[in-house]
Amino acid sequence: MTNSHPKEKEIQEYVLDRSACSNTTIGHIESCTVCQEEVNSYTLLFTGIKQEPAASFDFDLEQLVMPLLPSPEPLMTTDRFVFGFLVVFSCLCIGVPVYIFWQNILYMFSGIPVYFIYVIIGSSSSVMLVKIWNMFKKYQNQMRILNFNYSR
Amino acid sequence: MNDITGNNPKDKHLVDRVLRGDTRAFAVIIKNTENLVAQIVFKMVPVAEDRKDLAQDIYLKTFNSLGGFKFQSKLSTWIARIAYNTCLSWIEKKKPILPGNLHEDEAWQKHSTENLHHYSSVSNESEGQISQKEVKAILRNEINKLPVIYQTLITLFHHESMSYEELTQITGLPEGTVKSHLFRARKMLKENLLSKYKKEAL
Repeated sequence: MTNSHPKEKEIQEYVLDRSACSNTTIGHIESCTVCQEEVNSYTLLFTGIKQEPAASFDFDLEQLVMPLLPSPEPLMTTDRFVFGFLVVFSCLCIGVPVYIFWQNILYMFSGIPVYFIYVIIGSSSSVMLVKIWNMFKKYQNQMRILNFNYSR
Repeated sequence: MNDITGNNPKDKHLVDRVLRGDTRAFAVIIKNTENLVAQIVFKMVPVAEDRKDLAQDIYLKTFNSLGGFKFQSKLSTWIARIAYNTCLSWIEKKKPILPGNLHEDEAWQKHSTENLHHYSSVSNESEGQISQKEVKAILRNEINKLPVIYQTLITLFHHESMSYEELTQITGLPEGTVKSHLFRARKMLKENLLSKYKKEAL
């Protein structure tokens, strides 16, 4: 047994998980009445906290929240039908000409000046970048509202 | 059986159902987690009238962001984090003080001492033996006198048997800070109890 008492932290550790303590600490605590008193105090305290009645809401949380949730969408709404139709129609509009004229497609841009192609690519890229930036800012704002990037 | 993140396959199934539009599954999630949420809300929010709005807010946030849940923690831990952050925002709105001092502000603890008057007679009996019921009341009041963060951590660790890792995920504090807070909370609680009441009485 060592003469100096273990630190308070070690006493707490002993009560919480004896196996995490060193043999020296265990040996001291088990043969020291002062430390045993500390251990008893903490044991009583932890048991007391464990036995505390759990807090519970005095209202029906389910009844409170469920009516506020959006109702489930039906399997096929008009919007979905229109969206599906537009997707199929768009695919046909692109697919049919490509199927018919695919041999001529390679020569489609041959007569256009190079700088004009750069203008088209440049402007469309700029529009896309602005759109992506706006989308990112909107996402950040939504996350801020939801407190997920709350900073302490 | 739980996987490596502690997630229950039933939780995954429930989340999938909610995301597919089955809101009834969300009622099960509420039922499974409301006790844990209540523990956090009761420890962090002393105003009873506000708890109802906050609880509602917590679950609406949960519902709206369920699609973003990546199963990197237990579903209950994730919801507890939303509850913790929501309550923290409420505290900040109600009492605009420096965030660093937020949890240890003594004035903020005033609410917890209000109930102490009820138990003042109990302290007078500390010379003799006090009943088990009174000991529990004393302990409850001493816990309520602790800083909010200590109360929350003590309750989640000792009452809800949560691990340090889970507490880290809920509070967003480093594990070392969580351990240090818990150590100080237990020490403070023990000393407060012993200084007020004779050990023999307890």
